[in-house]
Amino acid sequence: MAKIAQRGLIRARELYEHREARAKELSKKGKKVIGYFCSYTPVEIFTALDLVPYRIQGKVGKPVDQAGQYVESIVCPYVRSCFDLALSGEFDFLSGVIIPHTCDAMHRLYDIWKYHLKPPYSYQLYVPHMTHQASYEFFQKEIESLKTGLEQFVGRSASEKDLIKAISLHNRSRSLLRELYEMRKPEPPVISGTEVMWVLVAGMTIPIQEFNELLEDVIAEVRSRKPSAENKPRLLISGSEVDDNTLIHLVEESGASVVMDDLCTGSRFFWQDVDTSKGVMQGLAERYLNITCPRTYRPGKAAQRFSYLGDFIREWKAQGVILYTIRFCDTYQLDAPEMKDYIQSLGLPVLFLEDTYVTSPTGQWKTRVEAFLETIEARRE
Amino acid sequence: MAEETKTEPKQKTSSAKSTESAKKIRYIVKRMYQKAQQAKEQNLKVAYCMVMCNYEEILEALDIVQVYTENYAGLCAVKREAEQYMKKAQAEGYSDVLCGYAQVGIGFDAWRHELGGAMPPDAPDGGMPEPDVLLGCSMGCDPRWKWYQALGRYKNTPIYNMEVLMPPSDADFDAIKDYYVRYMAEELRGLIAFLEKQTGKKMDYDRLTAIVKQVEETRQWWRKAYDLRKAIPCPMSTQDHFVIFVPHHMLLTDPMTLDFYKGLYQELKDRVDNKIGVIDDEKYRLLWGVGIPPWHSMYILDYFQTFGAVFAAETAYMIPEHFEMPSDISDPVELIALRAFERNSAVQRRGKEAGGIPPLAQMHLERIRDFTIDGVVMHVTRSCRAATMGQILARNVIRDYYPRLPVMFMESDIVDVESYSEAETKNQIDTFMEMVDTYKKSST
Repeated sequence: MAKIAQRGLIRARELYEHREARAKELSKKGKKVIGYFCSYTPVEIFTALDLVPYRIQGKVGKPVDQAGQYVESIVCPYVRSCFDLALSGEFDFLSGVIIPHTCDAMHRLYDIWKYHLKPPYSYQLYVPHMTHQASYEFFQKEIESLKTGLEQFVGRSASEKDLIKAISLHNRSRSLLRELYEMRKPEPPVISGTEVMWVLVAGMTIPIQEFNELLEDVIAEVRSRKPSAENKPRLLISGSEVDDNTLIHLVEESGASVVMDDLCTGSRFFWQDVDTSKGVMQGLAERYLNITCPRTYRPGKAAQRFSYLGDFIREWKAQGVILYTIRFCDTYQLDAPEMKDYIQSLGLPVLFLEDTYVTSPTGQWKTRVEAFLETIEARRE
Repeated sequence: MAEETKTEPKQKTSSAKSTESAKKIRYIVKRMYQKAQQAKEQNLKVAYCMVMCNYEEILEALDIVQVYTENYAGLCAVKREAEQYMKKAQAEGYSDVLCGYAQVGIGFDAWRHELGGAMPPDAPDGGMPEPDVLLGCSMGCDPRWKWYQALGRYKNTPIYNMEVLMPPSDADFDAIKDYYVRYMAEELRGLIAFLEKQTGKKMDYDRLTAIVKQVEETRQWWRKAYDLRKAIPCPMSTQDHFVIFVPHHMLLTDPMTLDFYKGLYQELKDRVDNKIGVIDDEKYRLLWGVGIPPWHSMYILDYFQTFGAVFAAETAYMIPEHFEMPSDISDPVELIALRAFERNSAVQRRGKEAGGIPPLAQMHLERIRDFTIDGVVMHVTRSCRAATMGQILARNVIRDYYPRLPVMFMESDIVDVESYSEAETKNQIDTFMEMVDTYKKSST
């Protein structure tokens, strides 16, 4: 088992590189670790029950091997990669798995996972696609059902006090992450997109208390840095699952700074706090259903639906946007052309990349990224 | 007549039909589009819709003309006219692996937008009329509501996307029932309020109740007719099924539809009574497993018949599960909401009771048992994830229960003919039919 550094960015990087290390260690010590997918799983419930939330991710660069016997080749390659890792035993330390019904791939993955892997505990959380008033009320009931299911599994219950404490810990984490993202605002930013990804991924694999400590360390470390004089093109990346550094590292190596994101492994999963003023469960339902993923219907034209993206662009002074989609992701791909229209209407160039997740065409990307950066440089001049 | 000729396919793409009922469908479809195109002249509102969303009765009760856009894409594929719309959508920035139906529909409306609202030239069956409302739903797959949202790029048409819930396969159904039904009912009430605003009409709930009852009667007749296919020889094939579903899925509330399925029942009963099968010498009985068929090349199903094989059942475009209408519920909205829950959890319940069989697999096991099946064909469709993902799971479960039963994966697409290789498919069928023959001999 990999020995992980104790503090700061080096710890974040090592946890990023050995994602399962800490969770496995905790599992060996008798802690129950629950795997989950998507930003829509309300992990506060896990924390309230003293369960360790572990976000299941695939492995970029590792070709899908055994999963071909279980999951069709024309479906989300991220999902196939995750299932492939599960088949090879990489997630054997998990005591259970929560797969929310967020998109078609997740919906169908649940039965495949349950039938073939037979986890000790599994649950499918139905996340409404709509955002009507009744959708929130329904989702609240679904979260209550998830809580009941987990309570039965662990043989104890989470009181309101436990939940409030857990929410407070997760809100603290969100607040620290937003503070970290503030450090991407200066020109040039004092933390790179690559480093931010280490932190984000690390946080998805360890208990929330440890993540908060890590964030405090990282913030202190980054704050002590001396700003450099470099003035690189500033980019925002929008997309779905980006849990590997290949693309962001490539962009930054090519001479740009990734200063903001709109990713389900980035801002989308932590931007909003849970507001408990109207009740704990209502707060959770509202917070999670308000995540701005294309899988949830939000009425209105592009300018209304993507206004949050416009805010990010303005506040982080982005000069270009990379739209990154995973092949076969219908929900993102149905939004992408309108999203592109919207960003272009703000006067920013857009680079659209479609990826197969496991075999990213880095050579081709490099050429396209460099050409894109030249466009931005020309505008800056 | 000249216009009709223009919209006929450039080559024959349809399959052979064994029933007179199936032969009526082409006329019914043409009439359906003609009526939709005439709606504006009659001051009727037109809705773009998706099949099996549980809102058909509500639309009928408010005199809204229903245009099923997925099925229009299928019609374009049958006529080998889909490609022009797909190319248009791709030129607009949509992925070439996006749902094929959505590609056709978006391409069609992008083209219409480019023409300033005029119908794209030579549109099959005269084209889809401009909608007054867009009604997506979450049942089945994500593109079924995302597609209409994407149309916001080309239209300012009011939209109501509605949740239709599919409970998880292992849910505690009794525990979740109340809030699942309540949410569905609220979604339907929201739809009614939206449509009342758009049409300026008030819902007539007595009329709605009558329509719901009529629909249930229609379904009973179709179900009775369908069950007759258990007979040996099988009186009707999947080739017929893939057109016979049309009145139910797209003209559900039309009184003609009730008569159609009564007629189908009578026709199949006569065939069963007289032992008239799809083919003279039925050697093998096949199941068309989940997977929307290759609309562009339906005749390939006939190739199986040259081996003496008949598709006796399918798990695509199915009849909704039986629903016993409770006598104590008078509110038709409550009734529709309850019906949606009971139907969408029925197979899940049976799978759970059978020891944790995933619902998709459970449907296959039931058909294999009830229709005396000797082999299963599943259609892997490049642009339809929803109907493809889970096929391998279904095959794996089938293997657990019927270890030697041959299962074939046929690969192409629902609309894109480019993804289809006839020579390869026929080679695959040749090998598959040898396996079916071996299986049949060893099991008799």
